Amino acid sequence: MSQGVPTEDVENEMNIGLSSYHPLAFAAVCSLSARCCWSLGAMESDNLAYMELAIHQAKLAMESLEVPVGCVFIKDGNVIASGRNRTTETRNATRHAEMEAIDILLEKWQRDGLSKAEVAKNFSQCVLYVTCEPCIMCAAALSFLGIKEVYYGCANEKFGGCGSILALHSSSSESFISDEVPQRKGFKCTGGLMASEAVSLFRSFYEQGNPNAPKPHRPPVEKKVE
Amino acid sequence: MLGMEEVVNECLGSKDPLRFEAPFKTKLYSLGFWVAQHKHSAVLPLLGSSCSVGEAHLSSLIMNEQLQQIIHIPANPPVSPTRQPTEKVYVALIEPKHANTIIRRLNQTAPLQNLHHLKRIHKKQVQGGKPELFVILCLASENEKQSQSMPPDVEDVVNSYNLTPFVTEVCKHAALSKEEWEEQCKLWPTSYHPPTYNIHGITGFSEEDSKSVFSFMKSTIELAKSGDHLFVNAALIVDPLVGQIIASACDEVCSWHTGTSKAKTETSHFKQSEGFTSDADANRIARDTTLLSNGSSNNLKQCDTTVFCLNPWQFTQQSLDGSPCYCHPLRHAAIVAIEASAARDRHLFPGSGLSEKLYEVDSTHSSPSGSPAKRQRITLENVKSGGEQAENTEGSNSLTRPYLCTGYDIYLVWEPCTMCAMALVHQRIRRIFYALPNPEAGALGSVHRLQGEKSLNHHYAIFRVVLPELEFPAER
Repeated sequence: MSQGVPTEDVENEMNIGLSSYHPLAFAAVCSLSARCCWSLGAMESDNLAYMELAIHQAKLAMESLEVPVGCVFIKDGNVIASGRNRTTETRNATRHAEMEAIDILLEKWQRDGLSKAEVAKNFSQCVLYVTCEPCIMCAAALSFLGIKEVYYGCANEKFGGCGSILALHSSSSESFISDEVPQRKGFKCTGGLMASEAVSLFRSFYEQGNPNAPKPHRPPVEKKVE
Repeated sequence: MLGMEEVVNECLGSKDPLRFEAPFKTKLYSLGFWVAQHKHSAVLPLLGSSCSVGEAHLSSLIMNEQLQQIIHIPANPPVSPTRQPTEKVYVALIEPKHANTIIRRLNQTAPLQNLHHLKRIHKKQVQGGKPELFVILCLASENEKQSQSMPPDVEDVVNSYNLTPFVTEVCKHAALSKEEWEEQCKLWPTSYHPPTYNIHGITGFSEEDSKSVFSFMKSTIELAKSGDHLFVNAALIVDPLVGQIIASACDEVCSWHTGTSKAKTETSHFKQSEGFTSDADANRIARDTTLLSNGSSNNLKQCDTTVFCLNPWQFTQQSLDGSPCYCHPLRHAAIVAIEASAARDRHLFPGSGLSEKLYEVDSTHSSPSGSPAKRQRITLENVKSGGEQAENTEGSNSLTRPYLCTGYDIYLVWEPCTMCAMALVHQRIRRIFYALPNPEAGALGSVHRLQGEKSLNHHYAIFRVVLPELEFPAER
């Protein structure tokens, strides 16, 4: 797979208008985000290909009755890890796709005997493709690790940590140079890549009803018996 | 005298320990070794030598006065009661005999939408005369030039009773505390409803509850300083209904080994971190500590003294280090504790069809405490009606599996970072108790305030537990 470098214009275009979409909303209409994707052009084919892989992971999550979110980590144009949501299986609501993939990477690099400096350097060269905007927890984690860049599908208006609720990807504007204040790490972040696909996965998941949600929420829809 | 909170904040916020005035140092000392040692290790030897007999006496007085506190950290940043936002309204002086009719007409034609906390009538005592009655007519336009634009219905009232409207200011939002309410009433009387719907503890703790909170916090601190590693964060997940520890953990950032960590959490819920092996991670706190405790900690590895929630970005700031990486920068104490509680859940309630299991429990168990969804409310009722408690807790202990950590509390030595705080939202923790604030990276009031983010699908209550007598073994 060849590497494509996104142009500034294309990125700006992709950022249009996604804030109004809620990935969990039934009524979300995806025509606008779909149009954004149609206009991407050939330069974005790599981005789309990587996001396709993330979507594939999300579909795997859905097949396991997990909230459908998936991701891939790319370094030097290669997929080095993929992850999908495993919150239901593990009964650990922090096991988001990103955390799964990060653990795979850390385990792999430890096995390879990489030094801490090498691990940090590797993360600084990683690009993450994830179907839904990283939540506040994952965005913080990505910033702690010093990841280079994130592409996400649809915005996450309830939990999003890359602009929707908090903007943890933007490094602090006032850069204190001091021993006392920890240096925040930001990362480049672009939303709207294949957002409509990500939203439609959410929609079909919640239309079946989330059997694992606490009781009052979204009971499974009973299908009519013909 | 400074409150405990201010003393600690001042201590943590100050860059230069030497600038503290003598009385302040005394108070700082009374807070215990812990705070001073962490941020300003240099303070301590200085304190030890400079405390006069009189100061030492004062110190012990303070200790007796303010032994322990539980401070609620609210969802909104505290606003000074005197600086509450206001709104302009039209009011008018009315004849007492018309009051009823006017109020009825106004309530029908011009109800005070979003201002339900305001009393419609303000009775002003005039010195040596009859009280005067003022009534709120309607909201005043922000634009001064449109000062005469009242709704027609209100104008009718004004005309028929020959009123002279004028503009005054009232408080825009309902009071959240008694202090705010008292301040509001100086402008215009309002009603105040203390929060009753909220999570248990916000309106105060009973003596028994406080005891249990302090005891769990002390256990958490013991956990943090157990073994050789003095300065890690520790987390204790607790079921307050039965006073049971569900999971406990310390930071495992440096000691992480692939393969072993999962097995550990599967088998033991009460495990403590193993000794650290990495020799990396010289950071500021580590330096300070080594500097300070000198003789007693010579054999401490520097890595052992790192609270990762305090500077979670340190992973990317390490100086180049060629040794192999046994490090997982995200295994903060809260994350590890959540993992352990999830492992416990899978262990106690095995079976893959967990959703069916959950529903089964719901439908077959007739006692109201059987439903995890109702658990929180039951807790409140239990506290009020102590008698049924034993029965209910027995039921909940043996039969039901709560959804994630619903109904559980977590105790942390340090205010958690953004990642940990959001993880605790995801895992549905009910209350968070921490001992020490995290001014540079804390997400529960210091840098962010996740308990106040309305869009999140779960909200916990936050409490800071002040334990002034905290000491390290080296101090005893």
